[in-house]
Amino acid sequence: MSPGAEGKALEGVRRGDQRALEELYRVHGPRIHALLLRMLRETADAEEVLQETFIDAWKRAAEYAPSRGSIEAWLITIARSRAIDRIRHKGARLRLVRQTEQLAPAEPAHPDPPDVHAQSRLRRALGALPAEQRRALELAYWEGLSQSEISEHTGDPLGTVKTRVRLGLQRLAELLAG
Amino acid sequence: MTHQEFLEQVDAYALGALEPAEARALEAHLAAEAPHPQCEAALARAREAVAALASDLTPVAPPPRVWDAVARSIGAGEPGPVRVVPLRRAPAWAYAMAAAAVLALVVGGISVRESSRSAARASASAAECRRELAEAHLDLLRKEDALQLLVEPGTQLVSLRPTPQAQGPLARGSGVVIFNPRGRALFLGKSFAAQETQDYELWLLRGDKAIAAGLLPPGADGRVFAEVPPGLLTGGRPGGFAVSIEKKGGTDVPTTVIFAGTVSPP
Repeated sequence: MSPGAEGKALEGVRRGDQRALEELYRVHGPRIHALLLRMLRETADAEEVLQETFIDAWKRAAEYAPSRGSIEAWLITIARSRAIDRIRHKGARLRLVRQTEQLAPAEPAHPDPPDVHAQSRLRRALGALPAEQRRALELAYWEGLSQSEISEHTGDPLGTVKTRVRLGLQRLAELLAG
Repeated sequence: MTHQEFLEQVDAYALGALEPAEARALEAHLAAEAPHPQCEAALARAREAVAALASDLTPVAPPPRVWDAVARSIGAGEPGPVRVVPLRRAPAWAYAMAAAAVLALVVGGISVRESSRSAARASASAAECRRELAEAHLDLLRKEDALQLLVEPGTQLVSLRPTPQAQGPLARGSGVVIFNPRGRALFLGKSFAAQETQDYELWLLRGDKAIAAGLLPPGADGRVFAEVPPGLLTGGRPGGFAVSIEKKGGTDVPTTVIFAGTVSPP
């Protein structure tokens, strides 16, 4: 879908046209679904957050500003924000469970879903980053950790983590754009 | 917040790595102050980088039920409140029944298919897989049940600590009761050594009495999961819980208490 067609679809969503939202869902839903599967590792959670994402887009279409990123980036921002909320809620629950059963440190409930992350381009870009920046970005991006949680997790000072996140994403943006 | 402060945090914001209060401060900056081209451009760049990370993922078509749920939620453009349609499965008890039904089918399936040896072997193998799946499913349901109880208001964890009577392999076990004063208590134990001639028994302690709350048969992995009969929790807040080891079938009065813990006052 071209940016112009996407813009028209979003205009339709703003007017309450369900078919316009369905068009955006058809174009972006599968990739956002893959992202949510990778982050949440549970089919039911991924499907629920995907549903919430497009309902949110329906309700908040008027807030979308092209100057702050593409429609795809906007949808992904909504999806990740909701996924992170869910990860953090589950994390609190898991910590309670660990207190009870002294379980091993949190691990993915399932292995990564198959055929979901053909990440060659991403791997190349991440591979070009210093290891500590890459680690900080991965913990934030896939595990939904905040900078404070990354600091706690890695034992590095919070200021150092903040610098790694900032420089890492900026460098990644350059590499992925190149 | 200054533009410079915004620029320093915008990458973490786009990643969702800020604490909620920090994120709100950035959002307030975007909403309250005159649009600043550099701030907006930085946000766009950061968001595109985040989106680009996802662009390397292989798309996975969602099942039709997801869009159906979205369409039902937004009501075909009709005005009014928008609600998320639950996609999650039926209540836990329904799943427990379904899993039990699967188990029953599996057990039944083995006896029905005994007419041919090779067919029986194949079906028994498949049945074994299904039985293991059903057991895993039941295990998940138990954990989900425990998780839900954990996040209920008022729930407390009662750690049961080994007593001097817990000797040898018995001392390796540990247990905890997830207790909610509204009338539920779940016992979770691990590393319970299998006993051929004895049973583990759970006790609810109230005043100077110990009330039998059921036997605790350990699974093959040494884990134990049991629910205190809700009827025992209606007579006021218990003082604690204990586990003893008894003759087969249990007793009315505990003889060898190996773990015990007290409930904190409200």
